[in-house]
Amino acid sequence: MSEIHAATRREDLRLITGRGRYTADWCLPGQLHACFLRSDRAHAEIVSIDARPALKRPGVVAVFTGADAVAAGYTQFPNMMAFTGRGGTTILKPDRPVLAAGKVRYVGETVAMVVAESALAAQDALDAIEIEYNDLPVAVTIEDALAAGGPQLHANVPGNLCFEYEAGNAAAVDQAFAKAAHVTRLKVLTTRVAPNPMEPRACLVSYDAASEAYDIYTCSQGIVMLRRQFSVLTGVPEEKLRFHLHDVGGSFGQRSAVYPEYAAQMIAAKKLGRPVKWVSSRSEGFMSDSHGRGIAIAGELALDRDGRFLAARYQFDCDMGAYLTPTGPVSHLRNPATLMTGVYRIPALYGSFRVVLTNTVPVAAYRGAGRPDIAYAVERLVDRAASELNIDRTELRRRNFIPPDAFPYKTPTMGVYEQSDFAGCLDKALEDADWAGFAKRRDAAGKRGKLRGIGLSTIIEATGAGMYPKDQVAIEFDAQGKLTVYTVSLSSGQGHETTFAAIVAQTLGVPAEEVTLRESVQGKDLTGNHTGGSRSLVGAGSVCKLAAQKLIEHAKPLAAEELELEPSQIDYADGAFRERGGDKMIALMKLAQKHAGKSPHPLNVTAEASVGSTWPNGCHIAEVEIDPATGVTQIMSYVAVDDSGNVINHSIVEGQVHGGVVQGAGQIFGEQVIYDRDSGQLLTGSFSDYSMPRAGMLRDIHVGDHPLPSKLNALGAKGVGESGCTASLSTFANAMTDALRPLGVPHLDMPFTPSKVWHAIRNAKAK
Amino acid sequence: MFEFNYVKAKSLSDAAGLIAAHPEAKLLAGGMTLIPTLKQRLAQPSHLVDVGGLPELRGIEMKNGRLAIGAAMQHHEVATSAVVMKAIPALAYLADHIGDPQVRNRGTLGGSVANNDPVADYPAAVLALDATIVTTKREIAAADFFQGMFATALAEGEIIVRLLFAVPKRAAYEKFPHPASGYAMTAVFIAETAAGVRVAVTGAGPGVYRWSGAENALAKKLSSAALDGLTVDPKDMNADIHATREYRANLVKVMAQRAVEKLLATK
Repeated sequence: MSEIHAATRREDLRLITGRGRYTADWCLPGQLHACFLRSDRAHAEIVSIDARPALKRPGVVAVFTGADAVAAGYTQFPNMMAFTGRGGTTILKPDRPVLAAGKVRYVGETVAMVVAESALAAQDALDAIEIEYNDLPVAVTIEDALAAGGPQLHANVPGNLCFEYEAGNAAAVDQAFAKAAHVTRLKVLTTRVAPNPMEPRACLVSYDAASEAYDIYTCSQGIVMLRRQFSVLTGVPEEKLRFHLHDVGGSFGQRSAVYPEYAAQMIAAKKLGRPVKWVSSRSEGFMSDSHGRGIAIAGELALDRDGRFLAARYQFDCDMGAYLTPTGPVSHLRNPATLMTGVYRIPALYGSFRVVLTNTVPVAAYRGAGRPDIAYAVERLVDRAASELNIDRTELRRRNFIPPDAFPYKTPTMGVYEQSDFAGCLDKALEDADWAGFAKRRDAAGKRGKLRGIGLSTIIEATGAGMYPKDQVAIEFDAQGKLTVYTVSLSSGQGHETTFAAIVAQTLGVPAEEVTLRESVQGKDLTGNHTGGSRSLVGAGSVCKLAAQKLIEHAKPLAAEELELEPSQIDYADGAFRERGGDKMIALMKLAQKHAGKSPHPLNVTAEASVGSTWPNGCHIAEVEIDPATGVTQIMSYVAVDDSGNVINHSIVEGQVHGGVVQGAGQIFGEQVIYDRDSGQLLTGSFSDYSMPRAGMLRDIHVGDHPLPSKLNALGAKGVGESGCTASLSTFANAMTDALRPLGVPHLDMPFTPSKVWHAIRNAKAK
Repeated sequence: MFEFNYVKAKSLSDAAGLIAAHPEAKLLAGGMTLIPTLKQRLAQPSHLVDVGGLPELRGIEMKNGRLAIGAAMQHHEVATSAVVMKAIPALAYLADHIGDPQVRNRGTLGGSVANNDPVADYPAAVLALDATIVTTKREIAAADFFQGMFATALAEGEIIVRLLFAVPKRAAYEKFPHPASGYAMTAVFIAETAAGVRVAVTGAGPGVYRWSGAENALAKKLSSAALDGLTVDPKDMNADIHATREYRANLVKVMAQRAVEKLLATK
């Protein structure tokens, strides 16, 4: 594949000129509107609920409550956990009626749904629902949830602990620690954040009584997994669930799952015989869209006298919120467990995990899904060890990198790393960031009264293999002979229309304009994985190439027939079949047109491949300056050198890295969901209190490719969707630690808000 | 949002009449506070009386040596007015640092002053510059106008028409924007006037206030070093999830010192 340099993407004009079709843009004749009464308390028994007064309000058609959800049997959400825990235990799954029944367990939980002729009428009627609660004590932190005698959220989850899991070899780790010359310890918390995609969550459901099927319009990350999840939750067979998925305005893992509102709309649409539409407000989004991260990690690293890593041990406490989301537990366990060794040769590893329920919004996968969390712990530990042992942080890393001759490298916990060049990425990043010149820049900053710091991380990720064992892609020709590629992935900003079409066009040797991409299309009998876990290019993208290759082979006999030659006498090049040693030829698209109108078109092909995890890795470096008078940090520079494997489109890689790094910066410097510990109220329920990162936060990001093609897929791609988040959390934190180290500031954790940084500086100066 | 009646006032007296006739009516100028409040269903007015386009409330001019700005002038208009930039550049600077471009193209001077949000920008300038608030009924001195968090001297049905600013020798505004909302987490407006140096603080405490300690110190010597020895009592400050009282107390001093430096750097 030759690399594409394109300043614009094919989808851009449509999306930035308001011609995208997002879920809220869809309307169906006769549709009703739903509005949800949400719990205004964090933990309470529902003593009584009377919806009748709301029914008397103008325009109201029906009101649904927990009793309706229980009667429908919509109480058990799917869960992707496929492995057992400590002692062979399985995860305890609390019931989650799609409208709360008996109890509410977080602020924002759906309690009742009003369906009315207009969204305004539905909203007006919410106030008329009479509800009596009996408040219960709350636990919004892991500590409070695990405390003896603390509040009990679910009867079937004693102590709010729904799963314990361990990975690695505890005995080997204990032995290694016993003989270690030095042990570095660190406790960190990757904060709870609200992903906030630009498009508000929305859903439109209609029910067709004749076919007993539902038509569902919603924002998604891919049709196959979503359909399965809806089916598991509602018991409706998959073939009775028809999805209409179009443009999606950001997903970040938050759009991968079925949500309670959607299933409640199914109840209403079936009962009322009219379509039911719901569009979330931003305020609702903060308290009902799944949150991300929220892992407390205690890490320990054992080293020998020469600074070689002997063993690492971690305790992970994962805050899952009040219920389990489909992706939450698995992403918080599998990815950290797989990546506990980072990019280092560590002979013994052990991790122990607790999955904890709290009176908060349920947590799901969020860009990186456990990968940024473990990288944050590992890379901060390594920096701290370097500081404690007075070894240069780049030297300590080099000393412990998995060497080039050790690949494929089988980690002590599940992973088999493909060929990587950690030292090469480090060298390139040090060069690009002018690491050697930093001392001068620090001095110059000091003269301006600023504290300057530089930080780096060397990280690796396991891209998502996906829950489906293979990815399929179809290439089909329509009645005019035009070519369309079908995938089950679904772009929510990743630019598939540009990249995937280019892969097919290049493989076929036809202009990109000849290729149309359609994703997650209802009625296409394809299987495969949704967009997430940095996997779409690696999976769907590489199968696009295979499908194009398959098309050429598949078309060859028909081309030969057309040219009155044997297939062995023709070759394919530059979009056409040509006679070897002669001048007969026919273009592929011409051949397709000749057969247009046949159903199915004889050139149609479906290709598939089983694409497992790939291993993107890289080195990121950040420089920061802190104003000690105010604690304000300015990011001075950022260098990202990534081995994403073969790069198909550098502009799109840059976009992915920019987005990921800024999301990391947002979390490190301000973003955080905060609940009041006593009342369980959400204190960061709007953009007035929740610090989303702003465009001016990072003025420039230098993105350098250091590609080592993957041998695990046809494109040689490794994936790039999450590297920005995975690397930037620890990179920024290490830069902050470096800036504050001369003052003797002890450990400081995210978010590095001005107030927190100023206090740390003041306390250090007071000593 | 609850249902309401929207009325576009034809004149100031028409607006006053509508407000008097409907006790649950509210004035709408830019709506930058009111509309979010309505969207959150925290208010249920019977009528919104739109005064945003009234000619009586518009205009910027020098009048008898004072800068007169109509209450319905939007922040962007103030920020880019040649008259304001010539007379009180610090006021134009302040207006240019309110909210974001959308807010600056909707929000108005009168709306901001009438709301007296303790984290709003304009009240600091109005107090430091000892402006006069001209209403449909009277003229009110800034010192009498602001009466603590969201409270003002405005009577029922009284509408701000314009503000009159005496032109200072020099002035400067230094703002620490709240990381999420962009409001002033702490901001200081310093004016060097014929009557002495005046220092007004917004965002840090329960309402805009003058920092007399700083004014006294600066009266002796107009330099940032003059404030070195001062401390701000954290117990007078606001605290929230973003910043402690101690941090805001520190910001008051740091912003004041930076405002002094900025003031001294202007001609």
